[in-house]
Amino acid sequence: MIEADVAVVGGGPGGYVCAIRAAQLGLKTVLIEADRLGGECVNYGCIPSKSLITVAKLVDKVKEAEKYGLRASGVSVDFVQMQKWKSEVVSRLVGGIELLLKGYHANIIMGEAEVITKDRIVVATANGREEVSCKNLVIATGTRTSSLPGLEFDGDLIIGSKEGLELKVVPRRVLIVGGGAIGLEFASMYQKLGSDVIVVEIMDQLLPGSDPDVVRVVHRKLEGRGAKVYLKSKVLQITKTRSEAKVEIETPEGNLTIEVDRVLVSVGRKPRTERMNLEKIGVRTDARGYVTTDNKMQTNVPGVYAIGDVRGPPLLAHKASKEAIVAAECIAGMPSAADWKVVPDAVFCDPEVASAGLTEAKAAEAGFKVKRSRFQFAALGRALSTGEPEGFVKIISNEEDGLVLGVQIVGPEASNLISEAALAIEMGATVDDIALTIHPHPTLPEAIMEASELAAGRPIHQLKT
Amino acid sequence: MTFEFKLPDLGEGIAEGEVLKWMVKEGDAVAEDQPLVEVMTDKVNVQIPAPRSGKVSKILVKEGDIAKVGQTIMVIDDGSAGGAPPVSAPAAPRPVQPSAPQAQPAPPSQGSVATPATRRLARELGVDIGKVRGSGPQGRVTDDDIRRSVGGSRTGPGTVAVQQAPPAQGQGGPKEELVPLRGIRKTISERMLKSLQTTAQVTHIDEADMTELVQLREAFKGSAEKRGVRLTYLPFIIKALVPALKEFPYLNSSLDEQNGNIVLKKYYNIGIATDTEQGLVVPVVKSVDTKDIFELAGEIERLADKARRGQLTLDEVHGSTFTITNVGAIGGVFATPIINIPEVAIMGLHKITKRPVVRDGKVEIRDITYLSLTFDHRVVDGAYAARFTSRVIETIQDTKRLLSEVL
Repeated sequence: MIEADVAVVGGGPGGYVCAIRAAQLGLKTVLIEADRLGGECVNYGCIPSKSLITVAKLVDKVKEAEKYGLRASGVSVDFVQMQKWKSEVVSRLVGGIELLLKGYHANIIMGEAEVITKDRIVVATANGREEVSCKNLVIATGTRTSSLPGLEFDGDLIIGSKEGLELKVVPRRVLIVGGGAIGLEFASMYQKLGSDVIVVEIMDQLLPGSDPDVVRVVHRKLEGRGAKVYLKSKVLQITKTRSEAKVEIETPEGNLTIEVDRVLVSVGRKPRTERMNLEKIGVRTDARGYVTTDNKMQTNVPGVYAIGDVRGPPLLAHKASKEAIVAAECIAGMPSAADWKVVPDAVFCDPEVASAGLTEAKAAEAGFKVKRSRFQFAALGRALSTGEPEGFVKIISNEEDGLVLGVQIVGPEASNLISEAALAIEMGATVDDIALTIHPHPTLPEAIMEASELAAGRPIHQLKT
Repeated sequence: MTFEFKLPDLGEGIAEGEVLKWMVKEGDAVAEDQPLVEVMTDKVNVQIPAPRSGKVSKILVKEGDIAKVGQTIMVIDDGSAGGAPPVSAPAAPRPVQPSAPQAQPAPPSQGSVATPATRRLARELGVDIGKVRGSGPQGRVTDDDIRRSVGGSRTGPGTVAVQQAPPAQGQGGPKEELVPLRGIRKTISERMLKSLQTTAQVTHIDEADMTELVQLREAFKGSAEKRGVRLTYLPFIIKALVPALKEFPYLNSSLDEQNGNIVLKKYYNIGIATDTEQGLVVPVVKSVDTKDIFELAGEIERLADKARRGQLTLDEVHGSTFTITNVGAIGGVFATPIINIPEVAIMGLHKITKRPVVRDGKVEIRDITYLSLTFDHRVVDGAYAARFTSRVIETIQDTKRLLSEVL
């Protein structure tokens, strides 16, 4: 029997961060992980997908190399090597996490945890049963991909995002069911690696919930490169042959049948709480099964906390990590709380999409007098000189006092640019504050400054409208 | 059916008030118009009546907390049926004054404007940041605002500690008692400091011979009593002020720094500093140039009485153009009053004593008092203020002239 002040179940970007912080604060901490440290993010999500996306982008660049005066003949994709490199990146990060946990003296137990009571956990390890008795329990078990009826994963023809990153060959023709963040990242990536891509989305736009202006740029590029996008559409039926799937799709223009060699389903995720025994220990969940907590991450049961995906959307690693710190600090008796104003997000499709704070629609809904200012990357030196002039920065500010309410970016390095926006909003910056801050030239973040200058009414590199 | 009671509009430019005292508690039955809560604004306490009868189902603002106009401060269950929405029935708040517009909805907000580190500091010090009034632009809450709200500003790290004064923050216990700074006291404290910090105050002192005025007042006392008013010196002084203020208009003005204007006021509303148990309040006698001494006496008496009972309305404390503070009845030789901003001057009236003075080469015993005039040197100069004071004194000493003014 291992005794602990804190037992964290799940070693993803929520769980491992929580364990590190708790151990740093002098709490006797146990981290239980059933599969691999780093969780979905490091092993099957963010990290491997970004590795492959990076290579895909490189392939794409090389394909148009002649435009830049570069002759690169005989370029071909070695998918196996690509996968190998990706795995090396992942292994390195997993090793790093283990090192950190050990360095801070958090006890790692590898095995499937089953919560018996809120202070007792049984872990099925490779060497048998291990019992943990804990004063505080942190549920960080995350989510798993959910499938659709009729579209059950078979690990071969019909796959989820995890398998999508582990293919041995580039699919010739792939159908992506679900045009959300994950679906679009796969669409852009496969397209660059040479696949024919078809996207089926049930809603009336890709990236549902995102700013429609932003989505338009991504949609146009995807189709411009030959992908087929079916909105307000759904898969009716799949007929599998030996190496192909015949997919019947219902679209507003009528039904059609297409043949593909892979179907990648990315229609959402669901909480992974089966072995947490939530009902028995009395932990409340919402209608979809996500654990509900207060802003200190504590559930309705004292001493039981939940962080990350298992608390519900947005399902983002960085949100999980921040919640993890809050939970650890609250357990240690510190006055921590989730009081951030924004959870920025980034989608690594082409061009990238990132957002922080309110969209135009949401800001108007909240009753703000909305000021919208856009700056096109096409007018920015650095965007042109990297050969990626698509997209724009859009700043939503409060007309009355200039406070930055939200920023949406579609374009080169949007994922790297959004942090400035998040900081601005957290600090309560106004468009003037950003406009008056010198941004080095020539760089992509200048687009944020330019959009702010427009919002402040004195643009230099665009005409006043 | 429940009814959300929002803090109604309290009048000109007032955005919030401190909840001083709840007169009801959760579960109490209330009748329409029954006073529910006492709210302190930057000038006066207001009792807010119940907008309808019912039962108090929830009180949402604690005593001592600041409530914004339009903020829901309590929920009343009027007992009526109807599957109405729980707390968002369109509340028609009762204006405190008949002329007051309806409460406006609170402006949209993403929460307090404060940096993440400031928000953490608030948590660490146990401060509800939503209730802290920010001193920065866009109402930004600073670390200092947070610290001040728990009492006593501190210097931040990195400041070299120079000869620290003993901390003002007391310990409590048998040797010290901690009295929370609240209500009128808090307002006075803020306003006095602001007055001294934002204006250039100089006090000019002169002497007035009140002998004839003493006689004049005696002469009018009888007729005042017949009218049911008690006649003090104050109405006479006010009447002596009017021609002087007309002649020296810059002392009946205010400085609009933002637009770079001095606003000369062609109306004469005199604030009367009044001592009450809760502290100093300044009711305003409006349009003194159009009223005779009996009307003035009656109005001063009425306002002073309301002030002591804490029943002044906002209208009765707003809009003064010049203020008088009278400490004569208590004693002292003279004092240097602090300007009631945004006015430019305040006059102190002091004790009248019989003193030997030289008149036409002979020593006489006369009723003498000192008058003090504190003025804002940004707006007027010393000579101007001295001439004004002389003019007031001339009128006080010249009974004939004063008579033409007082009636």
